[in-house]
Amino acid sequence: MQGLASLLAVVVRLFLPDKKQKDKDDNKEDKPLANLLVVDDDPDIAHVLKQGLLKNGFLVNAFTNPEEALQNFQSNSEDYCLMLSDIRMPGISGIKLARRVKEINPNVKVILLTSFEIKDNEFSKVFPSMQVDGFAQKPISIKDLTNKILDIIGESKKRLYQ
Amino acid sequence: MTMRRTGSHHIESVIEWFEIGLEEGENGILVYPNTQTFREIYMQYVKDQLVAREEQKENVDDNNNNDDDYHDNNNIRKEQLLMPRIILIATFYDTVNAVKHNLSAVGIDVQSHIDDGSLLIVDAFDGYYPNIDGMKKLVASLSKRARKEGRIGVSAIVNMGFFFLYDGDKAASELISYETSLPSKTDGGNVRGFSCYHARDYKNLDDSQKKKLLTQGQKKSLEVIESCADVAFDA
Repeated sequence: MQGLASLLAVVVRLFLPDKKQKDKDDNKEDKPLANLLVVDDDPDIAHVLKQGLLKNGFLVNAFTNPEEALQNFQSNSEDYCLMLSDIRMPGISGIKLARRVKEINPNVKVILLTSFEIKDNEFSKVFPSMQVDGFAQKPISIKDLTNKILDIIGESKKRLYQ
Repeated sequence: MTMRRTGSHHIESVIEWFEIGLEEGENGILVYPNTQTFREIYMQYVKDQLVAREEQKENVDDNNNNDDDYHDNNNIRKEQLLMPRIILIATFYDTVNAVKHNLSAVGIDVQSHIDDGSLLIVDAFDGYYPNIDGMKKLVASLSKRARKEGRIGVSAIVNMGFFFLYDGDKAASELISYETSLPSKTDGGNVRGFSCYHARDYKNLDDSQKKKLLTQGQKKSLEVIESCADVAFDA
């Protein structure tokens, strides 16, 4: 009997998630932070960037051939929020690609990446005619890159990510 | 003259062209199909010119004997072997450190060759910007040093990617103007210049621009095609 009493005394508490918190979590897990176009002629770097940014909640299309990346962008320009591109690539350089992307959709943000030391003079030839939203020097951690992207695409998405 | 080489032996073909196809004082144009092929070309060339040369020198030392004629000839040969040519690699799509890493990976003691003045690796961007003639000045100074040090000459392997970095109609004409300013041959010259173009960059030039690039300077050229099709020569 005593055993039964103790058994009946067991209280089962179910902790239901707070609705607002749940919505926020669902949003974080299901809804990508932004749709990114990643272009780097080095397949290893393109792969690492894609995997790292996917893990951090972005939707990523990565290309090693800038011509193919441009074709994809031409067909889906409204879907993309930001392009992350290497600068020195054969065929179409990151500088040329950024210009064409901005011509097609000026709302798309652009970050240029380079393994080379970023020298002002490298870009002075094309500035101020060129609208690039940010630069990053490789190697860069995915965390730093994510923060840079979030800084550029907007504070609201940054809050969602945090 | 344009020569097209394809197939699995393309690296050997390019090295042969570097060593025999072009004479001292000549400038030529190489079109390579991808970055990895370009890496393999400069790695093999540096290995042949600097590492294999050192091994030959060791053999000369080992074969020393007392025969006077043999000794004299051997000394001349040894002296030649002691003073290898200067190799300049002006990289564009790989960083200077990446080139050093690639060379080290195939057993080349990069730092010792840099220290003894036989190898120089630079970012091609710095050779063309802000002064487009910077690379010419660098090569001229290396040519002078090679003569002073009794070296055979200079090999300048220069990636031309810089000329495709920026947009604009002037880009191609700037390239053609630069390329034609390099003489196809300088009598008594000691520089072999190789202007190296990635095929994707070269494809950006239209037919008339390609023709100007090759014919205005009367340059010898070699186009390496990626597929394993037949070997084709164009005169």
